[in-house]
Amino acid sequence: MAAARTFVSQQRLGRLLLYLVTAAVLVAVAFPAYWLVTTAFKYEVDTIVSPPIILPLRGTLRNFTDVLRVEHIGQFFLNSALIALVSTGLGVLLGSMAAYSLSKVYMAYRIRQVIMIWILIVRIFPPITTAIPYFVIIRGLNLSDTHVALILTHTAFTLPFVIWLMLGFFQDLPDAIDKAAIMDGCSLWQRFCQITLPLALPGIAVTAIFTFIYSWNEFLYASMLTSRTAKTLPVVIAGYMSDKFLRWGEMSALAAMMVVPVMIFAGLTQRYLVRGLTFGAVKE
Amino acid sequence: MTNRLAPSHSEGTEPSSGGPRIRATWRALVGHTAAAGVVVQDHRRERLMSWLFIAPALLFLLLTSVYPLLYSLRLSFFSWNMSVPNSQPVFVGLRNYTRLFSDPVFQSSLKTTLIFVASAVTLEFLLGMALALLVTSRIRVVGLIRTLLLVPLMMTPVVAGVLWRTLYHSTYGAINYFIGLVGIPAQTWTGNPEQALAAVITVEIWQQMPVVIFILAAGIQSLPLDFYKAARVDGASAWQVFREITLPLLKPVILVVLLLRIMDAFRIFDVIYTLTFGGPGRVTEVLSILIYKNGLQFFQIGKASAMSWLFLLFIFVIAIFFIRELQGREQEGTS
Repeated sequence: MAAARTFVSQQRLGRLLLYLVTAAVLVAVAFPAYWLVTTAFKYEVDTIVSPPIILPLRGTLRNFTDVLRVEHIGQFFLNSALIALVSTGLGVLLGSMAAYSLSKVYMAYRIRQVIMIWILIVRIFPPITTAIPYFVIIRGLNLSDTHVALILTHTAFTLPFVIWLMLGFFQDLPDAIDKAAIMDGCSLWQRFCQITLPLALPGIAVTAIFTFIYSWNEFLYASMLTSRTAKTLPVVIAGYMSDKFLRWGEMSALAAMMVVPVMIFAGLTQRYLVRGLTFGAVKE
Repeated sequence: MTNRLAPSHSEGTEPSSGGPRIRATWRALVGHTAAAGVVVQDHRRERLMSWLFIAPALLFLLLTSVYPLLYSLRLSFFSWNMSVPNSQPVFVGLRNYTRLFSDPVFQSSLKTTLIFVASAVTLEFLLGMALALLVTSRIRVVGLIRTLLLVPLMMTPVVAGVLWRTLYHSTYGAINYFIGLVGIPAQTWTGNPEQALAAVITVEIWQQMPVVIFILAAGIQSLPLDFYKAARVDGASAWQVFREITLPLLKPVILVVLLLRIMDAFRIFDVIYTLTFGGPGRVTEVLSILIYKNGLQFFQIGKASAMSWLFLLFIFVIAIFFIRELQGREQEGTS
């Protein structure tokens, strides 16, 4: 009896501990984001005080209006959105067509395997390893500081990802309807447009969101290939470090404005998150 | 329409019940090829069409990844300082490479990179595994946890870098404030050669640990429950269950996670660029930062290209393991 009671209380204690540890970790995970958001609403004098204000009791929208007054900021927002949209569109179009082709059996197995490994390897290489040649090539083509340059590089990095992810989604579609369409004499193109694409729409949406976020967040190539006309938001944020680093409020406001849309998009992909993260290798 | 489609388990789809549902895309694909018996009337036309479908993507990748890589290989045999006006590349053979092999800066950067990757991935994995077990066990607020974990993961890396820079700030930062509450004196973190690398690793763990949690949790949830019931009947302890059941069954997923994380940790650039830019001194100068500085700050194009290629070869070895793992799953599936 007594033993049973201690067992129960031990279990309760264990569960309490479990919750406490999880809560502690989650607070640690969430705190930086909390810090970012609160800093964005702090008065400038409140951002640089010691000890720092953890729980701000007064707030202002001043930082946000300051951000909007930064020179060309509207254009930088537009650049980020435009480059991300176009490279996503291009990547998803080329990628889903390629994936469709790879998901069918008309190509010899060996060839398909080689193509897939090659695509995988392209995805694995760190972006910095192609940065130097890109820099030289883009300069040689007189494409420095153009949207085209960034669209091309971002698509190059997301295309392998799109192909692999879409392959998995196409693979999940049942074959029966495709076969019926073959019997009816539909061509490959018709089957792709009228059967596979509509059925794989959720997969396409998820893939598009992932590629959009990649391009929206990308910094290395954006900083290397743009200076003003095609400058994107990550480059603007990084710029705050040097000359005006102590303007934390303004910087945080811009960062928050940049990060929030991405968070909302990311929330939409939750169901397929693991698949996207593992390149399709693990499905949930 | 959709209802009619859903339950049809034709050749291509695997039954989803029973056994771990962790299917490598590779295996699914290959299984498909072996089994599919689609009768195609106009076979040659279909084949041609399927090549037309893949050609644009292949052409694009050829131009945007293969060509730059080959171009970079070519550049690595030249000495070329682009910052000097009208300078021309001069062929130097393997000199860039031989110099790198005896270059202490390159060696220390390689070492820093390895320390960074090894410690970040190890800690991410251990913490991530613990948390994955927690969220799959008895916690009821999984939805909230998920959303919270998404925040660092999806945060623009550059933003993460500048954000942590403010957190680490020696006078105005929150971290020194919190450790001050428990009596630890203020530290300089990113300004201190002994703490900077750890500070950078902390940010990497903060941002990437959710990847490990998400993937492992998905893996754990797909494990068959029967084993657990049997173990509970036999009176196994939680630790025994973990060691004897969860860990072995989870091995394929663990491998995928580790390889993915290792390959991605090598890519680190944005966070270090904004947090320390390799400093203080060269303490946090990982290979990507070193290549960036040499190529895009000092415009030593040849030298930076040679560094890039050594880095590539290094990654390639790891990539082979990853691909083997994906393919190994296929052989398991067919045998």
